[in-house]
Amino acid sequence: MRKQNWILLFTALMILALVACGKKEEETAEQPATPATNAPAPTPIDQSTVGEVTGKVSFEGTKPKTPVIHMDQDPVCVQKHAGKPVHAEDGDVNDNGTLPNVFVYVKSGAEKYTFAPPSDPVVLDQNGCMYQPHVLGIMAGQTLKVVSSDATTHNIHPMPKDNREWNMSQAPGAAPIEQKFARPEIMVPVKCNQHPWMRAWIGVTSNPFYAVTGSDGTFTIKGLPPGTYTIEAWSAIGGTGQTSDQTVTIGPKESKTLDFSFKAS
Amino acid sequence: MPDTPEKDPVTTSSLGTLLVISSVLVMLTLVWALYNEFFGLRPWKSYEREFSARYQTFLHKQIPQQEAAEKQILASPEYQQLDQQLKAAEEQVQQKADEADKQIAILDARFSALTETFTTERAYVATQVYAIEHTSLSRQPGLQKKLAEHEVGPFRVSLPTPPDGRIVTGDYTFQQLQDEFNKVQLDKANLLEEKSALLHPISDLRKKRDAYLTDHLNGLTSEQLSGLLKKALEAPVEIRQINIPDAGIVDRCESCHAGIREPVVITAKDMGGKKVFVSHPDPELLALHDPDKFGCSPCHGGNGMALESVERAHGNYEHWLWPLHPMENVQAGCQQCHAMDMVLDHAPVLSEGKDLFQRRGCVGCHRFQNYDPEPEEIASVQQETILLESKRAEAQHNVQRSIQMGDAAPDNDTARMYYTQADSLRVSISDIDGRIEQLDRRSKDLLRDTKKVGPDLKEVRVKIQPDWIPVWISNPHAWRPSTRMPRFRLKDDEVKAIAAFIWQSGIDATLPHQPPGDPVKGKESFETRGCLGCHSLDESSPHFAANLSRVGEKDNYDYLVRWIHNPRERTRPYCPFEKRDLTEADYKKHGLPYVFDLDHSKCPNDGHELQVEQETIMPNLRLTIEESRDIASYLITLKTKEPSSYPHADYLNDPSLKAQGHALVQRYGCAGCHEIAGMEDEGRIGTELTKEGSKPLEQIDFALLTREAREQGWYNHKGFFEHKLAKPEIYDTGRDWKDRDPNDRLRMPDFDLKPQEISSLTTFLMGAVDSQIPPRYWDMPEDQRRDIQEGWWVVKKYNCMGCHQFMVGQSSRLMMLPHYQTPEGRDQLPPKLMDEGARVSPDWMEKFLANPAMDPKDTDRDGVRSYLKVRMPTFFFSPIEIRKLVRFFQALAGQPMPYIPPKLEPLTDQEIAMARALFTSKGAPCLKCHATGDPAHDKFATAPNFLLARDRLKPDWARRWMLDPSMISPGTAMPSGLFKPVGDHYVFAGPTPDIFKGYDGDQPELLVRYMFEITPDEQRRLMSMSAEMLKTSELIRSQKPGVLSQNPAHPGPIVARIVARQAGGFGK
Repeated sequence: MRKQNWILLFTALMILALVACGKKEEETAEQPATPATNAPAPTPIDQSTVGEVTGKVSFEGTKPKTPVIHMDQDPVCVQKHAGKPVHAEDGDVNDNGTLPNVFVYVKSGAEKYTFAPPSDPVVLDQNGCMYQPHVLGIMAGQTLKVVSSDATTHNIHPMPKDNREWNMSQAPGAAPIEQKFARPEIMVPVKCNQHPWMRAWIGVTSNPFYAVTGSDGTFTIKGLPPGTYTIEAWSAIGGTGQTSDQTVTIGPKESKTLDFSFKAS
Repeated sequence: MPDTPEKDPVTTSSLGTLLVISSVLVMLTLVWALYNEFFGLRPWKSYEREFSARYQTFLHKQIPQQEAAEKQILASPEYQQLDQQLKAAEEQVQQKADEADKQIAILDARFSALTETFTTERAYVATQVYAIEHTSLSRQPGLQKKLAEHEVGPFRVSLPTPPDGRIVTGDYTFQQLQDEFNKVQLDKANLLEEKSALLHPISDLRKKRDAYLTDHLNGLTSEQLSGLLKKALEAPVEIRQINIPDAGIVDRCESCHAGIREPVVITAKDMGGKKVFVSHPDPELLALHDPDKFGCSPCHGGNGMALESVERAHGNYEHWLWPLHPMENVQAGCQQCHAMDMVLDHAPVLSEGKDLFQRRGCVGCHRFQNYDPEPEEIASVQQETILLESKRAEAQHNVQRSIQMGDAAPDNDTARMYYTQADSLRVSISDIDGRIEQLDRRSKDLLRDTKKVGPDLKEVRVKIQPDWIPVWISNPHAWRPSTRMPRFRLKDDEVKAIAAFIWQSGIDATLPHQPPGDPVKGKESFETRGCLGCHSLDESSPHFAANLSRVGEKDNYDYLVRWIHNPRERTRPYCPFEKRDLTEADYKKHGLPYVFDLDHSKCPNDGHELQVEQETIMPNLRLTIEESRDIASYLITLKTKEPSSYPHADYLNDPSLKAQGHALVQRYGCAGCHEIAGMEDEGRIGTELTKEGSKPLEQIDFALLTREAREQGWYNHKGFFEHKLAKPEIYDTGRDWKDRDPNDRLRMPDFDLKPQEISSLTTFLMGAVDSQIPPRYWDMPEDQRRDIQEGWWVVKKYNCMGCHQFMVGQSSRLMMLPHYQTPEGRDQLPPKLMDEGARVSPDWMEKFLANPAMDPKDTDRDGVRSYLKVRMPTFFFSPIEIRKLVRFFQALAGQPMPYIPPKLEPLTDQEIAMARALFTSKGAPCLKCHATGDPAHDKFATAPNFLLARDRLKPDWARRWMLDPSMISPGTAMPSGLFKPVGDHYVFAGPTPDIFKGYDGDQPELLVRYMFEITPDEQRRLMSMSAEMLKTSELIRSQKPGVLSQNPAHPGPIVARIVARQAGGFGK
């Protein structure tokens, strides 16, 4: 009888103790402080070890005919070309079977580095109602300076998907337009609504490793720190643009060759 | 036997142990009871304490972070510059402000020095004046003289004197004292005003500087956070409740959800994973619905009063009718107040549910308030007409009576009274006539607005390959997975009977034979005219109208051509009064031509309004018959197999199947979605769902699944809806059909809804409740917001968002198509309508919506944007819907109705010359893109003709558009930066023609006035001037005007000639 009572008492005490100790454990895991808002400092790169990638972009198939641009709607444009026919640049193939205006850049592999956008602006000229250059690269945050050598009014209308769109009028003799693209984007088409044939392509990159092929179809990307990279080539050939990727590993001071090739579509 | 005394229980045995135990137990019980009273029954107390502790930790961590961020912003060159500007400005005015303060202080001192003497004397003078006014005339002169002598003084006062505050003692008369007293006050007021004008720019600069900080700082400032911390430290542990007695709201939710209204973003991670403490995920929504006015439970459900446990508070127990809405259905709470809103911000899931209810045709069987209201409205209009007609007859009778009474009246006054009464009644009869006319029109319009979800089955014989019909009816999803047509669980003989009935009830007619078109051109037209805004050619993306990829297997070419040419064309008109489709004979009988359309819609037999259109949403694209043939020829090529490969359905003409088919069609309510001959007045067969979400659960039939539902935890509205929508026949499960009528089976067909669609519809139905909160909470505005609500129903009904963008960030279906992704394609997109009400005049819009060609005869065009391949179709909106749409757009843009155009100053000759010069200057690109009506020029046009401006646009909008079009329509082809601000006005940013020298007016405004006056003649003149301008532009650039004027081929710069032009208007 007595024993049972004690058990009862003990149980009651235990319950009490359990209730008292039931207070939950605090888990105050320290959160990492959120990074400050300012841009991180550029990663230092050892210039003595950098390598480069060179290559050629060729075209498979018969050279397509590029259409002649009719500029009749604005005599200023016609005058500038002094009667010579102007062909569309998209779809053009060099005489040696290579492709001009191919944008080649490091698509991935350089993420571990941070690059400050160069302080020099990239210049886009409007000359003879054509953009010069037709394809250009720029780093996100770098200034694009649009100038006009024409005696007619243009408007510069980049149509990005990831960046903010703008559309500015530029009268003859007006001050250059300076704008920046905040985010990397391949490729941003640029047009002039008044001269609808005008077209430029801007490759906005997060690193300075890009190049555009010229009349010989070659490119060189310099200053690459040793590592493995995915290199992408973009060409407007075949309508809306197409890309081709290749992976390459660069050792210290190494120079690698990487060739690309595109078909009409 | 030893005499051992019996043990005395009193002395020998003890209950002490038991007593001790009992008392300990009693003590423990007491402790437990007290503990339970203060903690166990009050779980919210520990919640509040825990929140307070965690929140303080959170803020302690936040404050230094925010401080660091602030420091960074404060150190930024922009902020520093603003700060410097402020300091410089402060410094600049400091001296003047100090000087002003000093002078004010002197004036204050002067004032107080003056006050004592002046007020004493003023009081004395006042008493004297009073005495004079109240004494006898004889005594007045004496007193006046005495007063005058007193006023001369002199009163000696020592006054601090500006500018240096030197004390000057002087003698003053009373008048001088009074003048001085007033002057000091006036001077002080002037000085204060000067000082405030001086400091005004400084306070502006300070605001600008401080705004820079708050604009660039993400979240609250450290100072504000410290304030929150202080509040958190001082917050008492108590029941936090919102009490709104007249709405019956007592919500204590914040006793546990203590962080819900905090002005910082608190995530579960910040609170050690405790979701209960997060801040409200949509602060904007919370700002619109102030919890102090709305509480929590009206939106979220749950038992706001309960505090004893989470289950109770969330209302998740039996007998509580309004459990908390689960997260995925949380937007259900919006519906009870927002039933009128078809599109609701912050509630995309609910909006999608409401949309699906219409789009998937739920409304064909289930009545739901506000959905497809036309047939009901027609009935109520007819009722009202009958009522008015009887009123009219009564009034007519009374007129006669009054006239007779007047005629027979004993005197003229009485007669006049009766005659007046008669006249008044006659006026009221005319008023009734007017109302009846309006009701007649309304009834006609409502008939026009009546649409069916599915196609007209009366046309089946002229439209469809018969062998396809049974294949389709037996399983529409097998043939076209995305179709809206649901799957009725039919047996083969039922399919046959239905097909036979439908086929035999169809109108037998022969359509005109159509020659074949060009399918290649047809494909191009199909892809560019805008068909894909509603239709699709695959199953991949959600679409509004049918996927047409297999049209070639089922449709007749001749019908398809007619359908594309005008989808509203019926083979025969339907007379709702006679309840039959009329034939040519009906017209012949009355000697009338067999013509029926919206302009010829009276029944030849009885004058009743006919249904002359097919009840389809599909609009008319105003294509030529040739283009219609091309498109039809293309579509008919779309097939996966030959129509002839379908099994031959010879039973379609078997008359013995018709009766069974009729019964089945009636049973399954096919007429809810289709027009079927003889079944035009069939009602909806389903239950009304307007209040389904609050139907008592015991009235909802879970049938044999009740137990399973209870056990599995879905015995609630949500569970019922979700299971029903996923598998409509589910509540037949387990039933024994041996002794039952098979017609008792559930009739709801399978819609093959996707899980997301089920969730949206469930949310909608859960929200469809008999609201428990007072009607003043319901969103039923009487102002322009009502126009917006009503407009959305029309916009959704016709899928306007398939082609147009109404809100920034909303994509139309066209915008998503590959065709419109290139820069060229982008310019071919239909206009964005974000600011449409501010852009166009409502009168113009009314005309445009009625006929987008803007021309009664030449309809193969777009009235505004002739350069677009895609075309605004004619929807044949009734005046009711046009009114709704016009008001909708005006209300969206906050424009008052009716619109009264502002008066524009007529242009002077000089201004006309200037506007012409600017328009044609090579710097101004207007005419390069805007159409002019000249075909050679318009080949390149990408913007509307200026001739449209006067009737179409609003001048205020036109000016704003010119200044920065991207602010109105992001991504527009019209460039920004055409004008730049100079002082208080804008000037052209390019080279301005010389004629503008000395002109300081607003140049965009000048152009607007010119645009609103422009005539076709003037436009031609502009064109020729512009062409000449371009020819000479290079020369003008390179040579001096003097040189040019010597050249006979170039008679001087065009500008000069315009200035020299004689006075006169356009065209002279």
